[in-house]
Amino acid sequence: MITYELCVLFRMMPKAELVTCLKRTANAIYNKGGILRKLENLGTKDTPYKISSHGLVHRQASYFVYEMNVPPANLDDLSEELARDVDIVRKTIFRKNLDNEVEDCTLHEELQPAPYRKDVKDLIAKARKLDKPKFVYGNNLKYYPSRNNYYWIY
Amino acid sequence: MSILLKLPQTKRSLVNIIRCSSNISSSDTPKFDMENPFEKEKQKCILCQTGVQVDYKNTKLLSQFQSSYTGRIYGRHITRLCKQQQEIVEREIGKAQNAGLMSSYNKDPAFLGDPKLYDVDNPIRPHRF
Ligand SMILES: [Zn+2]
Repeated sequence: MITYELCVLFRMMPKAELVTCLKRTANAIYNKGGILRKLENLGTKDTPYKISSHGLVHRQASYFVYEMNVPPANLDDLSEELARDVDIVRKTIFRKNLDNEVEDCTLHEELQPAPYRKDVKDLIAKARKLDKPKFVYGNNLKYYPSRNNYYWIY
Repeated sequence: MSILLKLPQTKRSLVNIIRCSSNISSSDTPKFDMENPFEKEKQKCILCQTGVQVDYKNTKLLSQFQSSYTGRIYGRHITRLCKQQQEIVEREIGKAQNAGLMSSYNKDPAFLGDPKLYDVDNPIRPHRF
């Protein structure tokens, strides 16, 4: 079961209206067979850039984050339904981050001089593969390996 | 002519003598199976050190990796993060900018006074700016 995060920006409106909007969004999630895990309020603040939606330009918005479990097949429908909502300025659905994504810090290896670094070594090995095949002397052929002259050398 | 022919033989015997003498082990000979005492301590990047989870909602942390002049994300050679952490930071900044939480062409003026995690003028590798 994948936990998703729905980040919604509601337009500026009175509190009572905002409550109905929040409930409407939550009901949309329930109707798509989802459950709510958490509802976070990130506050009402200025948007970092002006956002136009449904024919209006918004410079302030109320930020909310719904943490939810929704069947992945219904995610597109949910997104489409929220896009039709006039009170929503912007909505984005992300997968919730795992806690331990980084196993081991590789900074020490990355600070090594270039020829000691693994990625550089791999690059050099890759480049050597592209080299033209060279004729190697000292093989055990008993004839002169030229295309035209097949005479033996003893 | 005879001297020339004998020369390699004398050389080989000399080498043998030197080899044999170096093989003799006494209690005075130092042991070289110890670990390298000059090896540097293993370095860790600031996010791995502190164990802070990077999240797109934490714009105060994310904007510390952004240029205050252009909003550009600083590269790995400036931020001194490991490869994985740098990728995560870039991904989360992109998410935050898409969600309308963070600006992409400037740093939020409220975060301009935040402490600096790295020296912008002293990158690990020189860059073209
Ligand atoms: Zn690290």
